[in-house]
Amino acid sequence: MLSVKNLHVSIEEEGTKILRGINLTVNAGEVHAIMGPNGSGKSTLASVLAGKDGYSIDEGSVSFDGADLLEMAADERAREGLFLAFQYPVELPGVSTANFLKQAVKSVREHRGLDELSAGDFLKMMKEKAELVLLDPSLKSRSVNEGFSGGEKKRNEIFQLAMLDPKLAILDETDSGLDIDALRIVADGVNTLRNPDRSFVIITHYQRLLEFIVPDFVHVLLEGRIVLSGGKELALELEEKGYDWIKETHAQLT
Amino acid sequence: MSDQNQMIETSRNSERPESHFLKEFDLLVENAAGGTAWIEHRHQAVKAFSSLGFPTKKTESYKYTPITKRVKSTLSNAVESEMRTSNRAFGDVSGIHLDTSNGVLSTGPLATSLPKGLTITTLQEEAKRENGVLHEHLSGAIVLDRDPFSALAAALTEDGILIHVATGAHIEQPIVIHHDRIAAAGFVQSRFLIVADAGSTLRIIEHFGHLDAGSAFENRVTEIIVGEGANLDHVLVYERSEEATFVNALFVEQGEGSIFKTNNITIGGGVVRNNLNFLPNAENCETHLNGLYIARGASHVDNHTLVDHAKPNCYSNELFKGIVADTATGVFNGKVLVRQDAQKTNAYQSSKSILLDRRARIFAKPELVIYADDVKCSHGATTGELDDEALFYLRSRGLRPDAARLLLLEAFARDVIDLVEVEDMREYLYDRLHQLLTNE
Repeated sequence: MLSVKNLHVSIEEEGTKILRGINLTVNAGEVHAIMGPNGSGKSTLASVLAGKDGYSIDEGSVSFDGADLLEMAADERAREGLFLAFQYPVELPGVSTANFLKQAVKSVREHRGLDELSAGDFLKMMKEKAELVLLDPSLKSRSVNEGFSGGEKKRNEIFQLAMLDPKLAILDETDSGLDIDALRIVADGVNTLRNPDRSFVIITHYQRLLEFIVPDFVHVLLEGRIVLSGGKELALELEEKGYDWIKETHAQLT
Repeated sequence: MSDQNQMIETSRNSERPESHFLKEFDLLVENAAGGTAWIEHRHQAVKAFSSLGFPTKKTESYKYTPITKRVKSTLSNAVESEMRTSNRAFGDVSGIHLDTSNGVLSTGPLATSLPKGLTITTLQEEAKRENGVLHEHLSGAIVLDRDPFSALAAALTEDGILIHVATGAHIEQPIVIHHDRIAAAGFVQSRFLIVADAGSTLRIIEHFGHLDAGSAFENRVTEIIVGEGANLDHVLVYERSEEATFVNALFVEQGEGSIFKTNNITIGGGVVRNNLNFLPNAENCETHLNGLYIARGASHVDNHTLVDHAKPNCYSNELFKGIVADTATGVFNGKVLVRQDAQKTNAYQSSKSILLDRRARIFAKPELVIYADDVKCSHGATTGELDDEALFYLRSRGLRPDAARLLLLEAFARDVIDLVEVEDMREYLYDRLHQLLTNE
């Protein structure tokens, strides 16, 4: 599904190196958690995979379903089946959620050779998917994310994920700013969307989310490299010992 | 070209453009009708015009707008007598429909089938009535020494349109004015007087429809008198062809407790200058001033607004939005003046514009001048490109770059269209907006 090889990335304007040789393989149906302290490069990895401007790829490659992901524009990646749930979803005043999603779903379905949904089917789908994350139906007629609470914004991301039916979903700190109830709703939504064909990369600072979305693999990102990988129990160990433990071990190794 | 012709050409070019109009004025007033007070005022207007003169490079208020060049080029072009007619839009809007030709009513005065309390007539016809609305209100709101173009229109206009609503009359249906016929070149000077007496309500929609206007130069002045407690809603949509020039002056005077709202939408033309002046000269007035402009190609759209608060307890809200593409230019100059007596004024102004091309330009100058000490005022002006974060967000959902841009631009502009109260018009404007932004 996703294969990241020796990925080196710096910030275009400043030249600051952020990622220093990431290797990561995600197979279909797997859930990978990427954990790490602030500034370790987690969000940069998410942004680079989604195709955000402003980064320079200095080395390495990323293939997505056999194709060169880095050659694709951001919108092309989305149509190919990559989805990024934003850490900070953008407010779009005046853009109605329904209109925006209609266009998004249309372009994604077109690309995948699927028929355009009828207006009725589309509305039905909106209703179904919104229920997954207990999203208030009235939010759909409001402007995208405008005036949404932090929790509503994050639920709206998972709702969009469900609408676009991606092959790979990257959740960038979806748990940040959520109280325990909202966290549970988001996690339930994600768990419902897990299936043998869909993979997830869950980026998080805390172990908390992983109590609800149990990952197959946990990776620790430190200073732009994955320094440790393991099963779900690694998350618990990190919770217990903190990131300093890894930093020390890592420092001894290098 | 013969030598003689060349000589005429040269002498015409060297002549100051003002003298052409001063001569025209002398010819017109010799045979003018309309009552002595009106003619006297036209003399004052021509005097004001003559002393102001057309803007020069040094004229601050026209610094960015090369209007005098347009005056000269219009003068030097042959005047075609051929009339051009635009496609009629808003024909379906349920309302009282009027047509104009070169700025005057095509139909002449309308006596019949109007709702009680509503008069629609020509200025000439109204001038015949002693103690009529014209005698009381014409030239009541205009400030002659503010701008040469409004003075010029006031001086040269022989006739014009009068709409009057009597005290307490509520006119349910909007009056829809189709300015759909003009000569294809030369000047059209026109004048419009709207008077809403105390406690009345009225809604006016004006459409300067798309027509191949050649190099026509429309210069018009409108005075609107909103009586005590009256409520007047005005919408103007301008969409002439890309060579046309439009200088549009609006002077609004408001009585106590009145509400006035205007939506000024410029989506066509070559050079457009709106001079919008609001004088809520009584307490508890409410003034809403909304504008949208889309400047494309090499066009130039300039909005100059003045809200002059002279009395206490008034509210004004101004929202202007512009999209400037290609090599076009947008200008916004919005002045809010709160005089010393105007305590408890709430005045808000916001101007936002988006540049779509590196060659496109915007000059924005918000001005807030406050002499009273107990007021709530704010203003803000932003100019920029589309938000990269927002574009990325949309693209990350599979939208192609142009679809993402279109969605954001439409949302930006719809904000103003949403404030138009007649639904059919909103729909028309949403469609036009979409066409313009997709180059259909």
